[in-house]
Amino acid sequence: MTKPLSCEQAVEQFFAYLDRALAGEPLNDLEAHLEACLSCCEKLAFSRRLDTFVKNRLPQSPVPDGLEARIRRTLGQTSTE
Amino acid sequence: MTIPDASTQPQQATKPDELRQTFEALALPHLAHLYRLAARLAGHGRDAEDLVHETYVKGLAAFPSLREQASIRGWLSRILARLAIDRHRQQPPEIAVGDLQDLDRFSLYDLIWDEDPFPYSDTLHQDFLDQFPDDDVRAALLNLPDVYRVPLILLYVEDLSYRELAETLNCPVGTVMSRLHRARKILERELWECARRRRLVRSEDR
Repeated sequence: MTKPLSCEQAVEQFFAYLDRALAGEPLNDLEAHLEACLSCCEKLAFSRRLDTFVKNRLPQSPVPDGLEARIRRTLGQTSTE
Repeated sequence: MTIPDASTQPQQATKPDELRQTFEALALPHLAHLYRLAARLAGHGRDAEDLVHETYVKGLAAFPSLREQASIRGWLSRILARLAIDRHRQQPPEIAVGDLQDLDRFSLYDLIWDEDPFPYSDTLHQDFLDQFPDDDVRAALLNLPDVYRVPLILLYVEDLSYRELAETLNCPVGTVMSRLHRARKILERELWECARRRRLVRSEDR
């Protein structure tokens, strides 16, 4: 068992944790900290909420008219060159 | 149009025209996805269109090297992301180092807590986020420097792992990690600035 994480060290790991990029000892250490620290749990929940908030607001852009035809035209020219 | 047999072997097309037809049949169904990704990486309009167009041209040229046809969408997405990065390589990639140190410590959660813009709320942080129109959030995303926006969008849209992001962006995993951290911190800071401009909070410069 390594030395318990401070809140500052725990917060530094939040994004990697949310992105499922933590494993092994760093993951265990963070989870041990979260079990004991309500404040960090709330901060982590906010980071997760903020990610979802931004993701849900990514623009939904329809394909402009003519783009597929432009691509087909270029690909046709490329393959006959 | 008939989609050719989905082999896991590299393409063995004999004629350029057959290769193109196979590529079009497999790749063009992903046009909407690729355009959406391009618009998120480069903003709407001609830049996004050119990015997608170039992706298909590069994709056709590299198609014989694609081993798994079933993975063509992710493969094309990564070509597009590399093109987006290359296009913007000329731009100054970083904000000043002093700013980065401040940035790494920035906490929107703490600022909302300290400022307490909704004193009677039981859901203070959620209420804060609910104040923002979608366009403000999109503007904050588009204002991110490319070096931060591209990995964040790829993470959000393509759900790539840090290792896959590092391969796509041709940089170490540690760089991916720090850029994703800073991308989110810049977004937090932009939302806070936006809240100040909208007079949701009264706080002075911090």
